[in-house]
Parts: sequence; structure tokens; C-alpha cells
Amino acid sequence: MTNELLRLLLLALQLGFLALLFVILYRFARALRADLRQAEATAAATRTGMGRLVVLESPGEEPSVGRVLQIGPITTLGRDLNSTIYLDDEFASGTHAALTFRGRAWYVEDRRSTNGTWVNGHRIQRPVALSYGDELVVGRVRFRLER
Amino acid sequence: MYRLAARRTELGLLIPVLLLVPLGVVVTHIAQSGRAELGPLAVAVVFVGLMLGAHLVLAWSGHRGDELLLPAVAAMGALGIVMLNRLPQDLAGNPAFNLGMVGTQLVWFGIGLAAMVVVAIGVRDDGFLRHYKYSWGLLAAALLVVTLLFGSEVNGARLWIVIGPFGFQPSEAIKVMLVVFVAGYLAENRAVLAGASLRLGPVALPPIPYLAPMLVVFAAVMLVVVVSRDLGTALLFFGVFLTMLFVATGRRTYVLFGAVLFVVGAGVAYLLFPHVHERIDTWIDPWADPNGSGYQAVQAIYAFARGGLLGEGLGQGLPQVDGRLPIPAVHTDMIFAAIGEELGLLGGVAMLGLVAVIMTRGLRIAVLARDDFSTMLATGLAAGLVLQSLIIIGGNLKVVPLTGITLPFVSYGGSSLLASFVVVGLLLSISHRSIETDQAESAESPESAQPEMHAG
Repeated sequence: MTNELLRLLLLALQLGFLALLFVILYRFARALRADLRQAEATAAATRTGMGRLVVLESPGEEPSVGRVLQIGPITTLGRDLNSTIYLDDEFASGTHAALTFRGRAWYVEDRRSTNGTWVNGHRIQRPVALSYGDELVVGRVRFRLER
Repeated sequence: MYRLAARRTELGLLIPVLLLVPLGVVVTHIAQSGRAELGPLAVAVVFVGLMLGAHLVLAWSGHRGDELLLPAVAAMGALGIVMLNRLPQDLAGNPAFNLGMVGTQLVWFGIGLAAMVVVAIGVRDDGFLRHYKYSWGLLAAALLVVTLLFGSEVNGARLWIVIGPFGFQPSEAIKVMLVVFVAGYLAENRAVLAGASLRLGPVALPPIPYLAPMLVVFAAVMLVVVVSRDLGTALLFFGVFLTMLFVATGRRTYVLFGAVLFVVGAGVAYLLFPHVHERIDTWIDPWADPNGSGYQAVQAIYAFARGGLLGEGLGQGLPQVDGRLPIPAVHTDMIFAAIGEELGLLGGVAMLGLVAVIMTRGLRIAVLARDDFSTMLATGLAAGLVLQSLIIIGGNLKVVPLTGITLPFVSYGGSSLLASFVVVGLLLSISHRSIETDQAESAESPESAQPEMHAG
């Protein structure tokens, strides 16, 4: 093969390599766009609230372990049937605790319950701010606050 | 059978990426030998096999995590392998194993991908990171001090710990540990940090008592890093820290405060440390001493200039002077200059595009995460990879002062590769967990999803 042909071949291969790089980038761009569209749809379907409680542990029927409860800006927890979240657990007081969403964060306060409200293993003495991912124990029911 | 259909997006993106390596290896062989033949393809076969293997294990295990991250990382790795295969093989490599530079790098790819897969599939619960955040922070600080005291010096910075024939750079592992520590701390105190604060006229003061423990640990780490002359790493840690603080609190004042702190700190370092002084002077005018302190920067600028738009062609650039390549550290810190010369502006832009894909995916994983710790962790890890890339690419291009850090997935180096793959594994596992809980929720019927709302 002559030198001239070899140089042409190398030029073609080099341009092919660069073209392949940009084909790859184009495919990434397309995948990103498709993913964003899909994300909008799922966000509309599943993420309307400000947060949710995942039930990690529960001795009674209600609520059952693994349940995901969407919560509103003022949510009460207790053994009273009028609580936003009803707990079938004799260790929970009638109106045991309340979760409120103020400003940019969730707060939990104890409603003078007998056995106390616990956040990440500590009994709370006054209303405290919660982070997403914190664990909350009311009676014998253990929740995790998620986004 | 559905397992075969799993992770289709990932496979679709991976296939063209994997074509890059054989094509690049063949072009290099033809250019270097002057004969139109395929040449040895072992490097390409091993790279393609490793990447496909990682993909298949993830798909087989039913992993639901992000599907763009692995192909993006593989594309950066492919460019790196093509360049390392093209460079003289005696630049690096462990003499004990006689694999040459690209062979050694492929071994590290194998180890890194294995670690990534194990972390991505194995980390089902991040409790061991979240609950032991202070332990991770302390471990990072201890590693730093050990390196400072017992490390061996390379190019004026104490970065290496050498045990027998093996050496590693602890700063790569420290980076990940620090992100874990800061993420844990911010997640625990996010509500307080983002909430109400003291006001002094128009300036909102941060809640100092809550910020103090983290600032103390961080200042200590920065001090050690600066004393050990690892300036690129110091800049990287600081940038990642500010990014995480901003994402946790959403407050611009923190970023502003951090930027002011950085400018003041850089000014003080310029006056106090002669090596900082030299770096900055070299950055402002490398031609003041083109054969001494400015040599590396000047050679990089010439390399980019020779490359132009389309590049000199793989295997056709980088002329050797006196039997060696003119750019010092061309296989590690300066690999972007080699890419700029042989693949031109287009190759460089493609590399930046891949970095952008990694950032986009990292932030998306952070947004989708269900709890604050995962959000902070994903933000910090992704920002770490991306800032590191930008600092060293900017250094190569003389946009920012040149500091010695690696280009993740591209530069030669086992510690960097292993740490970067562990980061990708952690991102994949965070992504997997948030998608898994979404599935659990939508699997329930709408009636049973919120009966308590109507119970009263």
C-alpha cells in the first residue's frame, strides 16, 4: 500500500473515531431527555406530598409493616380513631404525637403521651425538627420519614 | 427471561462506547507501524470483556439503579485506555508483574469494576456509613496524618504510602470518607442549618454552634492537605464541601462566605508558601521560565495548538524529543493534553460532555433519593468526580493553576481508578434503593395506600 493511501485510510479512521464519539454523546443526550420525560410522569403520579412515613415495625394489624403513608401538613398519630394515622397498639396513647410541616421542614411534637415519642433512639422533650431519613417511634410502631 | 431484558438502556449505550477501544487500538497500530493491518487486539478484547461483564452481573442481579452512569464512565475509561495504549509503555507499570502500562491499568479496571459491582449490589443498607460518620471522619484524618508522617515524596508532595512493591495514594480514599462524614453531619442537622437564624442587619448569620464541629474537622483536614502540598486535593475537598453545604441548606450566603474564605486563604497561601507562589506565577506566565518551572505548562499548550480542531490523529502526534515525550506526567496529570493533541478540540469537548453526563446523573440520583443522607452522599460523590475532572482539565488548559490530581477513569493510576469505581458503585446503590421503594409504593392499590386519611 502506498504512503498516500495509508494517510487517507488513517484520516478516514481518525474522523470515524471522532464521529463515533459524537454519536455516543448524541445517544446520551437522547437517553437523558427520555428519562426526564418519564421522570415528570412518575413525579406527578407518586410524589405529590411533602413526605411520607414508611412503617418499619408494627406489632398490630394497623398499620402493617412495609406500608407507605402519605402525610399532610398536620398529621396526628395515636390510638384514637380520629387520629390522621391510627395505631392499633396498646403502648400508644390516644393522641400520642403530631407531625407538622412548617417552612421547609417537618417537626414532631409529643402530645403528653405516656410512653413518649422517640426520634433516632432519643426521647424528645420539646418539638424537634426532623430530617428525611429520621426514625420515629410511637408506642411500639417504628416509622421512617422519607421524601 | 425478563432478566435478559433488564438494563436495556445501559446495554444500548454501552455498545457504541465499547467500539471505541478496538477502533482506537487499530488506528494507533496502523499509524505507528505504517502497515494496514489490525495488529494486536488483546487490550480491546479485555476492556470490552470487563465492561460487558460488569453490565451482565448488574442485569443478572436485577439491579434497578441508574443506567447511564456505567456507559458514561466506560466512555471516559475507553478514551483513557486508547491513549495509554498509544503512549510508550515504559512510562509506568509495576516491574514485578511485567504487564506494561496499559496492561497494569486493565488489571486495575478489573479490580475497580469488581468493587463497583460488589458495592452496587451489596450495599442494601447505608447504616454502616450513616451511623458511623464520626468514625469515617476520624479515619480520614488519621490516614492523612499517617501519609504526612510516613509517606514517600513524589514531585514535592507527600502523597504515597509504599508497602513492598505496592504503593497507593490515600487521598483518593480520604475523599470518599470525608464525603460520607459531611453527608452524615449535614443530614442530621439539615433542618436546623436551613431554618431560622440570627440576623445581623441584612446578613443572616448561620447557626454557628451547629456548624462548628463540622468546620473544625474540615479546617483540620484542609490544614494537613495544604501542609502536605497537595493543592489540587485541597481545592477539590473545599469545592465538594461548599457544594454539599449549598445543597443541604439552599443558602447562597454560605457559598458567598466560602468563596470569600477561599480567596483570602489562597492569598495567604500565596504569601506564605513558596511552592504555591511558584505555581501561581507559572500559571500567569509559563513563558517566564519555559525550560524550568513553566516547562510542563508550555508543552501542554503546544500540544493543544498542534491538535487543532480534529487532532493530529491517534498515534501521529506527541513527537518525541531525545527519545522521550516532552510533556512530563503525560500518562497521569497531563493526559488531557495528549487527548487534545491527538483527538483535537472535538475529542476534548466530547470528554467534557461525558463529565456533564456524570454530573447530571449524580444530581438526579440525589433528587430521587428518599432521605437526606442519600441525597447529600450522592451530591458529594458526584461533585467529587466532576470537580476533580474540571480542576485537572482546567489545569491542562491553563484556565486554572495546574495542580497534580488525576482525571478520573482516564489517567493512569490504580488508587484513583479503584476509588472512582467505588464512588460509582455507591451512586448505583443509592439509585437502586430509591427506585425500589418507589416500586413498593406503586405496587399497592390506591385504596389501601392511604386509608388513614379517611379513617376519621
